[in-house]
Amino acid sequence: MRSKPTATSHEITPIGVVAPPPILVQTPAFEGTLAALFRCVRDRKVDLMEVPLEPICQAYLEYLMDSPETNLDEAAAALTVLAYLLERKAWQLLPVEEDEPEFEEPAALPDPTAYAYSDVIQMLLGGHEERSKLFFRTSGPDPSLYEIPYSVGEVTVGDLARAFESLIRRAEPDEIETLGKPRKSLVEQMRVVLLCLTKEFRPITALFVGSYTRNDAVYWFLSLLELIRLRQAAVKLDGEEVLFAKK
Amino acid sequence: MTLVDQLEALLFVSEAPAKLNDLARTLNVAEGQVEQGIEILTERLEASGALKCVKIAGGYQLATKAEFAELVGIYMKPQKQRLSRSIMEVLAIVAYKQPITTGEIEVIRGVQSDYGLRILQERNLICEVGRKQTPGRPMLFGTTQQFLHQFNLDGLNQLPQMDVDALPSLSTEEPKEETV
Repeated sequence: MRSKPTATSHEITPIGVVAPPPILVQTPAFEGTLAALFRCVRDRKVDLMEVPLEPICQAYLEYLMDSPETNLDEAAAALTVLAYLLERKAWQLLPVEEDEPEFEEPAALPDPTAYAYSDVIQMLLGGHEERSKLFFRTSGPDPSLYEIPYSVGEVTVGDLARAFESLIRRAEPDEIETLGKPRKSLVEQMRVVLLCLTKEFRPITALFVGSYTRNDAVYWFLSLLELIRLRQAAVKLDGEEVLFAKK
Repeated sequence: MTLVDQLEALLFVSEAPAKLNDLARTLNVAEGQVEQGIEILTERLEASGALKCVKIAGGYQLATKAEFAELVGIYMKPQKQRLSRSIMEVLAIVAYKQPITTGEIEVIRGVQSDYGLRILQERNLICEVGRKQTPGRPMLFGTTQQFLHQFNLDGLNQLPQMDVDALPSLSTEEPKEETV
């Protein structure tokens, strides 16, 4: 039995589709990732009694301790899987009067499992790396290209949320407006925000003059985020305070 | 004006891999002659200059040589694709098992995969290739030309063979001591 944590991805995915980290489980009864083990146990394709869970838990703890930037979604997914497996096995270990109903035809493991694609993935990544060194004539932006997540240094999402909170706290409630009111343009709002920004870093509340509604605050903040993304605005941390400036 | 020069001109203006038959039709020559011409052109370009002729995604295209990648990168500032491990896993499964449904991918992976499929579709690496004639008529996915282009492949036949025999299988041994 061997369980080892391997490289993990850090992609933020919607809740419910996050795969646990690729902790590899190798037993005589099963070989594959933790996600595949979960699926197989749930579908009664693997006898959990033949799979020791302690090394898997150990591998999970190693994954938590060794990964400096543990993906919380992945870690939570793994914890859910482990909790399920432990509960399921605990119930199986209890003496029962009646055996669990047996299926007439045991279902087969998917063949090949996702684990078997590891080498192929490496090969594809190698090809991708090689391809990135070639430049072809294009008429415009390559449709496959997408934006690299823009790094804002040590500023975290939590810091930005805190800045937004300070803005919204000072906002006044919106007046009730009639339906079908004209929609605000974010582009227009971005122009306004850009005018308010200076080369000097200032807190978000200092950028606002006069009173404003919550609706204004939301548009304002979204525009500011968009400007940061477009690298027209900068953000930095000064102690606990989040400061913004024109780039 | 030689055939090789003509081919060079056509490949120079081509924004996508030029197919052999298209080149042959345009130049009004046999496909074999085009192949020969491309071979000569490839050698000529290899010998000097900054360009090379690449066989990619089922056609031919001119590209800058790898040694110029850094320089061109500074000028073009390309936004590199970053594909996570889980998305690569979905892509590899689609590449090998196409046409394949979401459900079939999820059986192999053991987790929900619609997010990965959506991202791959957005990046034009996979697309809908039909509907499976089963209840619900689920969508079937396959890889695109863009997939071949992005992963430096001429065709799907360039994907390595998967060693299915080496895959893990269920043990038929007697149950061992019970441990948690």
